[in-house]
Amino acid sequence: MTGIRNHDKVKAALEKVWLHSRPEAFSRLATLEGFAEELRSGTAHPEHLAAAELAAHRLSGSLGMFGLDDASSCAAEIEAVLCHQSAPDITVMAGLVRRLRNLMEGTPPTAKIPHKHDL
Amino acid sequence: MQSRQRTLLVIDDDRDVREVAKASLELVGGFNVIAAESGHCGLAFARRARPDAIILDLMMPDLDGRATLAQLKQMPDTADIPVIMLTAKVQANRQELLGRGAAGILVKPFDPMHLSDQVCEILGWESSGDKRQQHDRNPES
Repeated sequence: MTGIRNHDKVKAALEKVWLHSRPEAFSRLATLEGFAEELRSGTAHPEHLAAAELAAHRLSGSLGMFGLDDASSCAAEIEAVLCHQSAPDITVMAGLVRRLRNLMEGTPPTAKIPHKHDL
Repeated sequence: MQSRQRTLLVIDDDRDVREVAKASLELVGGFNVIAAESGHCGLAFARRARPDAIILDLMMPDLDGRATLAQLKQMPDTADIPVIMLTAKVQANRQELLGRGAAGILVKPFDPMHLSDQVCEILGWESSGDKRQQHDRNPES
């Protein structure tokens, strides 16, 4: 019984946190989309690269807590591309950022939290 | 006899991580959790509250996790507090962080339902899951 009560409380807490952190997560996604667009147009600024790296790092570290595992992995891929490539591939970056948006918009938060009967 | 409630200090500049970790550790693990948003705040909280353990993010602006860990280990009143590092880049950092005095490593993103168990496993503490199993075996205890 205790496990079930805790499950409900944790899920409620996660949903509450996600509610106010969702806009910030999408703002970080917008940072990545902006940088991908700068790459495409050849106007990428080093400061914007640092901001994009930080945005990808934050998303990879936090989205998984809310059950958005695939989105978290995708953000980690973006972070790796930005960190390890002096000139990130435009097509790869654009594809990953598009995929990240689809994953963030398509997966319900806290989907990873098991059902009560699994506890 | 009721055991003393343990206190954990979570130091992370990401508000989401602080809030989810706090909810998870309190609700699942039954810990008392205090949270700090920077290395500097974390050092002050650690000296004042003397938590049983600290969960410390590696990548933070200003005073990062490595520098915070170094200061915690240098100060006599916090040197003995076990510190678990929280990082997304575990492969590259593991041995180095353990060498600097970290008690263990937690990987981001963590699973909120299992964070407490991971902390207990690293620190060799009995987890709430262990207690539940014990209670199921012997409900009178």
